[in-house]
Amino acid sequence: MSETKTQPSEQSVAFLRWFRSIVLVGIIGWLMLTVYQNATSSEAENPFKLGLDLAGGSHLIYEADVSGVDPLEVPELMAVLRDVIERRVNIFGVSEPIVQVERSSFVTEEPIERLVVELPGVTDVSEAVAEIGRTPLLEFKLYSADLAGQQSALQNLESLTASSSGAVIGDISINGETIDREISEPFEDTGLTGRYLETASLEFAGSGGGQLSNEPLVSVRFTPEGGKLFAEITRANVGEQLGIFLDGDLISAPVINEAITGGTAIISGGFTPDEARELAQNLSFGALPVPIELQSTQTVGASLGAEVLDKGVKAGMLGFGLVMLFMIVWYRLPGLVACIALVSYITMMLALFQLIPVTLTAAGLAGFILSLGMAVDANVLVFERMKEEYRSGSSSREGAQTGFKRAWSAIRDGNITSLLSATILFWFGTSMVKGFALVFGMGILVSMFSALFITRTLLITLPEARKSDGSVLARLLGSGLNK
Amino acid sequence: MFAINNKKIFLIIAAVIMTSSVVIIGALGLNLGIDFTGGSLTEVAYQTAPAKDKVESAVSQHDLGGVSVRESLDESGDAAYIIRTRDLSESERIELSESVTALGEGGEITRFTSIGPVIGQELRDKAGWAIFGIVSIIILYVAFAFAGIGTPVSSWMYGAVTIFVLIHDVLVPTALMSILGYAAGIEVDVLFVMALLAVLGYSVNDTIVVFDRVRENLQKNRTEHRKKRKEVGIVHEDVTYTLTKPYDEIVGSAVSGTLSRSINTSITTLVALTALYLLGGAVTQTFALILFAGVLAGTYSSICIASPLVVTYAQYLERKQGNK
Repeated sequence: MSETKTQPSEQSVAFLRWFRSIVLVGIIGWLMLTVYQNATSSEAENPFKLGLDLAGGSHLIYEADVSGVDPLEVPELMAVLRDVIERRVNIFGVSEPIVQVERSSFVTEEPIERLVVELPGVTDVSEAVAEIGRTPLLEFKLYSADLAGQQSALQNLESLTASSSGAVIGDISINGETIDREISEPFEDTGLTGRYLETASLEFAGSGGGQLSNEPLVSVRFTPEGGKLFAEITRANVGEQLGIFLDGDLISAPVINEAITGGTAIISGGFTPDEARELAQNLSFGALPVPIELQSTQTVGASLGAEVLDKGVKAGMLGFGLVMLFMIVWYRLPGLVACIALVSYITMMLALFQLIPVTLTAAGLAGFILSLGMAVDANVLVFERMKEEYRSGSSSREGAQTGFKRAWSAIRDGNITSLLSATILFWFGTSMVKGFALVFGMGILVSMFSALFITRTLLITLPEARKSDGSVLARLLGSGLNK
Repeated sequence: MFAINNKKIFLIIAAVIMTSSVVIIGALGLNLGIDFTGGSLTEVAYQTAPAKDKVESAVSQHDLGGVSVRESLDESGDAAYIIRTRDLSESERIELSESVTALGEGGEITRFTSIGPVIGQELRDKAGWAIFGIVSIIILYVAFAFAGIGTPVSSWMYGAVTIFVLIHDVLVPTALMSILGYAAGIEVDVLFVMALLAVLGYSVNDTIVVFDRVRENLQKNRTEHRKKRKEVGIVHEDVTYTLTKPYDEIVGSAVSGTLSRSINTSITTLVALTALYLLGGAVTQTFALILFAGVLAGTYSSICIASPLVVTYAQYLERKQGNK
């Protein structure tokens, strides 16, 4: 009894091998089914995520101007910006839009904050761009006597030059400092902007208090932080003019009569009721905390995307078929095992694409097809070592075991360098390159797993033979063009 | 063994390939696409396409600076034109698309890309940094992984040769890209960078497999000498090796041993790439072509350049020692 335990009989070892192989193939089959269901069913929890170049849609990159903001506050501001734009895009009714903040990496001299907006299915960007761009930028600025002085001086100069024909103003400097000729309004930033806004609503002025009765007004309520800032500004500048700017235009400049601590402000600017209502809506849906500018646009027609996807899938199938054909013709029975390993490689990769999820693009698809050819490399390495052992007289199973042992260091070193490259790529890459690096790195790990675990399990389950047997089985276990 | 026996010929061929690649790239330059330079690309497809000069004159009505119009086919095989301009503002984009879609029946903008110059510059910088990072890490890893390889060539040399081979493998597809850009107006885009990076990975992997066999054969064919010496009370043990076979023979058998693996893996990879080229659509055709060239170069170099180069170096070391 105890002897059989320490040295299991040949039969039970064989049974165990078959059992493991069948369980493994069963798991792969189940995974395949899950992937298939996820890909085809419309209510699947984890469907494939198609990139815009395959699904059709628009990809917009905005650059945020954060030059006037404390660097420490930038991440928070960008998050606010993202939320605001997200709300905007959601109103637009796009299914699954993506709005994300991206920071240029350290290779650029100054970090640039970007906002990436992806709109699947939207191929007419004009509307989307208008929608995103329409969001008003609300700013509160203080009247500055210095700037006003410069401006009036400028105006005087300009009227002078206009009267004397031919004279053109070059640079103007005051006290040695060249001044900005583009001063549109003599106001200075206070730091109080739409980002501190909580809500905005339409109101009508009461009939009393000497005000024009029933004038439409927009009342804005600040966040607690904004309210505090507003109180400080008003307290420190009683008697001064506070300019309210919308998208850079001065809409009103009331004089501060007293410190306002209630956290609300009233904007009046001779609005019609409709204008006031629209402004209030736009403001509460989101005033931009920082100005943004469209930097890059990319649009792919939906039919074009579908075509690219269809072609990619066809190419993948042909590639897969050809690789399998080659492996079976050259390596025979072990080649068939490699094909099962390749099928499981594809299944596992597709499952990961669905689960993580990885956004599939035309480039990603091409990379994946390329990897079909490279994924069998570890199998090829092992089979070649196995062949050497087999030809020099070992049994096929011993040959397989030695083959794995010998091929390991090559597989390890080759894959580690590739993995390191993928990591660096992921680190430096722009979003498109990042996706490629991710697929590349995953492919390395999964192909190693499929070769070292699945191929191995199946290969040692195969019936044993020796080359000297000369049987059909012995030939099937050989490889190459000879018998 | 043939690779080692004929190493002079192979190394000369490699030198010729590399020099001509450099000359081609230098002479023809690379046709950088808007991914790198900034600018915009508009693809307009028609059911019945207007003549090219009609499109050109329609485009030139707008003040868009240097413009190029190229005939092309869209993915469903309809006649299309690709119009390249500087990067366009939203209103310019609308004006342009309105005027060109009106030119022919069923005119439709199938693709539009506009990239600001800053993003293009950043991509260029990033690509440069990524390649620099990868090359350094490969040298370090190879030197580390082959640290035990010892006599007669140090592990750093294997790392350096890996990089040399890598340069060869990247130069060949780049030269092809240069020719494609010159002859067919194909532009360098992000996909090209990815193709090069994939070639890079393939090349290193291929070379490492051969060097791994060299390492194994060296360990098999050597005798170990241990010598103890005392120094300031501490016992040091020096281990030196002498090879039982000539170095070039050992390397030669490693090349032969990995030959069928090198060829078979390149066949499966080339087969997958052929499928991608034939069926994969216009977007990835250039990608497939560039990789095809890169994999061919990688296979050639791992067999005919890497090992001959280390053997040549070993012989140079031997001669230098002999002269002393």
